[in-house]
Amino acid sequence: MAEPVLEVSDLVKHYPLTRGVVFRKQVGAVRAVDGVDFALGRGETLGIVGESGCGKSTVAKMLVNLERPTAGSIRYKGEDITRLSGRALKAVRRNIQMVFQDPYTSLNPRMTVGDIVGEPYDIHPEAAPKGDRRRRVQDLLDVVGLDPEYVNRYPHQFSGGQRQRIGIARGLALRPEVIVADEPVSALDVSVQAQVVNLMDRLQSEFGLAYVFIAHDLSIVRHISDRVGVMYLGRIVETGTDTEIYEHPTHPYTQALLSAVPVPDPEAREHRERIILSGDVPSPTDIPSGCRFRTRCWKARERCALEVPALAVPEWFRPAGGPVAHDSACHFAEAVSIRRSAPGVSVPVEGHGNGPG
Amino acid sequence: MLLEVRDLHVEFHTRDGVAKAVDGVGYGVDAGETLAVLGESGSGKSVTAQAVMGILDTPPGRITGGEVLFQGRDLLKLKEEERRRVRGAEMAMIFQDALSSLNPVLSVGDQLAEMFTVHRGMSRRDARAKAVELMDRVRIPAARERVGQYPHQFSGGMRQRIMIAMALALEPALIIADEPTTALDVTVQAQVMELLSELQREYDMGLILITHDLGVVADVADRIAVMYAGRIVESAPVHDIYKAPAHPYTRGLLDSVPRLDLKGRELYAIKGLPPNLTHVPPGCAFHPRCPLARDVCRTDEPPLYEVSPTRGSACHFWRECLNG
Repeated sequence: MAEPVLEVSDLVKHYPLTRGVVFRKQVGAVRAVDGVDFALGRGETLGIVGESGCGKSTVAKMLVNLERPTAGSIRYKGEDITRLSGRALKAVRRNIQMVFQDPYTSLNPRMTVGDIVGEPYDIHPEAAPKGDRRRRVQDLLDVVGLDPEYVNRYPHQFSGGQRQRIGIARGLALRPEVIVADEPVSALDVSVQAQVVNLMDRLQSEFGLAYVFIAHDLSIVRHISDRVGVMYLGRIVETGTDTEIYEHPTHPYTQALLSAVPVPDPEAREHRERIILSGDVPSPTDIPSGCRFRTRCWKARERCALEVPALAVPEWFRPAGGPVAHDSACHFAEAVSIRRSAPGVSVPVEGHGNGPG
Repeated sequence: MLLEVRDLHVEFHTRDGVAKAVDGVGYGVDAGETLAVLGESGSGKSVTAQAVMGILDTPPGRITGGEVLFQGRDLLKLKEEERRRVRGAEMAMIFQDALSSLNPVLSVGDQLAEMFTVHRGMSRRDARAKAVELMDRVRIPAARERVGQYPHQFSGGMRQRIMIAMALALEPALIIADEPTTALDVTVQAQVMELLSELQREYDMGLILITHDLGVVADVADRIAVMYAGRIVESAPVHDIYKAPAHPYTRGLLDSVPRLDLKGRELYAIKGLPPNLTHVPPGCAFHPRCPLARDVCRTDEPPLYEVSPTRGSACHFWRECLNG
């Protein structure tokens, strides 16, 4: 991987649950993020996938300092931003910007597009001299594919896809190195999603951006990401390059998730092997002991309740190497063939692995 | 044919003028068959379903023409009283957002039991027993203990199961499911879709599945009707459409979804935006966004051409589209 711009280690966010009005006492905690590690290289895209409640959005908020972590560190070029405040924090924030999910609520309806996209310059006046701002805003609109003449319009005059472009233009205004995008296309119609995904692809190569791309849609994440982390209940359970995760998943949760994604190919119907998980995700206030996935896992054994599996390359995959040898937090990580399309297009099984015991 | 919609027109009167939300839509479903109605927001797919169910808000909506033949009877000619008897008992609907479709101050058991006391005149005790039985059917664990709980005490997937239970209660011949799994996570979505198709087979029901998700459609549908700007632009058996779409809009949709199994290509993006329904472009409504558009498309509205006996396409150049 290229030199990392962002390094996250052992990131934790717990929200306390309290009881009592006068004498508040803590009775528990929502363990939204419970020990997350990853690194993001320059110009790279890291996809984070997971179902609702897995903590992926909380991670995003901590990256841009909208939430303070309970523990752990976020290093931007070696500097721990969780310890910064005041001027130093402001300087770092300039380089890490966010694009939000909902283009309807993340734009102020009473501000014009020009004001919205130009607002970062009010906060960081050193980024653009005052007389130059209007031109810069118009350039930004042009870059994201909107008519520069629209600067005086209001958000309600735009469609969802156009609004998301406005949000992206605002994110680009300060020329950040990192953009954290939390479900940037999930509120958009299919035909418009593709436009926005292609735009983000183009901007990445044009400006050398690094993305943290958070989404629940596995297909879109694969499309845009170089590396992918799969989250479950506040932790990353498996991480690797897109091929490692999508073609050679070894964690049962990833395998179930991938097998559940509907593929737009009716011929594949009969050939697909689906893993249907039973039950729901446990509550983050009451995380199971040992492996947090064990309550829904068909492979769970006694050991899973006792020992927390570490996120590392499973020993039994190490000697042979290859795409199955990537980080997977499972005591019984195993290679399976993922068959999504009709025979002939299917992905061959490579490398067999079996957990010890 | 269990349900046949013929040349349905629905208009909405808005401040900006008359919006033709549904503009001559026709489709049909047989017993045991699944028809997927595919379209983006504003395509008229939900409004059509609401007109079929008889739950369209009038005003602002108005049905200005067409027939909805259900088991041979035209539902649009029935009195509201008679319509009510059909609704729920003979056709039922499942909505996207279970939390806002369930009554938050009644227990789920009461809401399920209501179906039997109102439509079947059962005693409350019998109805309650039926409610437990239904919750069992849709595989809600510990149904007997949970029957007295309120909607907010259930997870999203469980709430959607309750919606399904409610729709199934009176064993209707037809179920209309409007984006039933859109609000759910993928793993839960798979559970719910599987349950729905299993129950459909068991009761031999017709199912109209309204969705924008091409993956879900490929998984469960027998036939597809693709809607754009209030019209059906393509209608075909599911295998045909995915193999070779006969309308440029369908082709654009299929090419614009990223696929798990095909990585690396740039996504095809349909240019432009869906039209404003108060100002639908003349001729073919899709022409401003269409790569095949020619002069005739700007002036003449294409009829639904017969591509094969089971397949139609509303494109003047469907042959060209079919051949790629």
